[in-house]
Amino acid sequence: MKAGWLAIGVLGLGVMLGAAAWNASAAANPWLVIRVQASVLIFGFGLLLLVLGSIEWLRSRHFEQRLNSLRKESEEERRRFLRRLDHELKNPLTSILAGLANLDSDESEEDRQSTRRSIQSQVQRMRDLLADLRKLAELETRPIESGRVDLAEILRESREMVLEKPGAGDRRIDLTIPHAPWPLPLVSGDRDLLFLAVHNLVENAVKFTEAGARIELRAYEDGSNAIIEVADTGPGIPDEERALIWEELYRGRAASGLPGSGLGLALVRAIAEKHGGKVLVRSRPGQGTVFSLTIPIDSVI
Amino acid sequence: MTKVLLVDDDPSILESLGPFLSRTGFEVLLASDGLEALERIAMDPPVLIVLDVLMPRLDGRELLRRLRREGNWTPVLLLTQVGESVERALALEEGADDYLNKPFDPHELVARMRAILRRARPGKPPLSAAWELRCGDLLLDRRSRRVSLHGEEFILTPRALALLEYLMTHPDELLTRERLLDAVWGWDYPAGTRAVDTRIAELRKALGDDPAQARYIETVPGQGYRFAPDVEAVT
Repeated sequence: MKAGWLAIGVLGLGVMLGAAAWNASAAANPWLVIRVQASVLIFGFGLLLLVLGSIEWLRSRHFEQRLNSLRKESEEERRRFLRRLDHELKNPLTSILAGLANLDSDESEEDRQSTRRSIQSQVQRMRDLLADLRKLAELETRPIESGRVDLAEILRESREMVLEKPGAGDRRIDLTIPHAPWPLPLVSGDRDLLFLAVHNLVENAVKFTEAGARIELRAYEDGSNAIIEVADTGPGIPDEERALIWEELYRGRAASGLPGSGLGLALVRAIAEKHGGKVLVRSRPGQGTVFSLTIPIDSVI
Repeated sequence: MTKVLLVDDDPSILESLGPFLSRTGFEVLLASDGLEALERIAMDPPVLIVLDVLMPRLDGRELLRRLRREGNWTPVLLLTQVGESVERALALEEGADDYLNKPFDPHELVARMRAILRRARPGKPPLSAAWELRCGDLLLDRRSRRVSLHGEEFILTPRALALLEYLMTHPDELLTRERLLDAVWGWDYPAGTRAVDTRIAELRKALGDDPAQARYIETVPGQGYRFAPDVEAVT
């Protein structure tokens, strides 16, 4: 394609030169007037080809450069993903190997029991990771169900569900859902996936805050979107980590030692995008974080 | 002893699951692909086949199709590797009796095998191989994906329909939320069990089923759900 445009430009230049030469040799010819006019026309045609060819050639070159840089970027992302995957698998496996070694030398039944439990929990960790990876892969390939979904109800349910977790009640979790002048409009999409997305955000807010923290769950609309906000008074996300948290398997410094696969936010983003929406984060270190999930309102209503 | 055939191309699965099943009281035959399984079945017919999907030479799905075409209704439990609903719907269409996503807890496998054996009617097609199912006034046409109650058709979301299909092909059986989630959604997600409750509520509403006096879907407190026992294939 690119070479094609270059060839057209060169052809145009050739036509121009040819026309000019023909014009120059026109002296003392009886067809002089016609020839001059024709050569000017052909020259113009050549000029047109030259300009068009060069413009398109430059454009396609620019396009190719962008494509290359995108390709490099995704290559880099893939390498980072593999590095992290390697890391995420290495740790539980090491611990399983250690557990198996201990099992032989454990003297009391009690010790063996505790070793078995530790192996089980590492196996569970790998299962969770696999479940999340599979979910992400499926999101890319499988069409989503499309129904009318009440995000306000999902937010209420998510709140109830995290409050059932031991210790979660030490935080104050407030819920604000609009009723006037009308309730939060429905969105169109896959209820189970949207629940997963909202639940992940709410669960994160609980996970990354300590007892006594405040969490606010808010819903509102802007006429074309329903927006869910999950705000917390937690430690906040450092500036340099804020762009990375969406990447698959990325785990911030605050996440070390906490359970989780490092895929939760990647899932939230994939789900939002599948619904034609988006998810954004604002955060101030030391003050807290707010995630906002935007999903287009169901236009059929 | 109950003779079962375990088919998987991964030796580590045969090596670990085989002895486990033996210890739980099954007589275990092994095969490492579909063709080998066919030979085994011809020589020494098992009462249940545990079948992996992705295998060289003859994969699990093709093996199942061949068996059913020959009118062999030996119950089959399909071990799926990818959690795609398409694959599960296919498994049903081909007449698998149940399916389990890898990775699974071996105890869960045994529980499923026992449930299949309890349900099995020797020599006859299982409910899971029937195109149309009836339970009282409820009629499910699996091919056209249509449901009707008292002769009146009603609309369900695709996932609620898939859930109803699974419930109706496993009547009078305690189905935990985790199992329904694994079978219908293909998810291995603690938070997902809420999704099961939501779809059950949708089904009950459509069926006019009162949870307190359930005709179709009974709640088993703290455990899961159980579908009415009187499901039959429409022929």
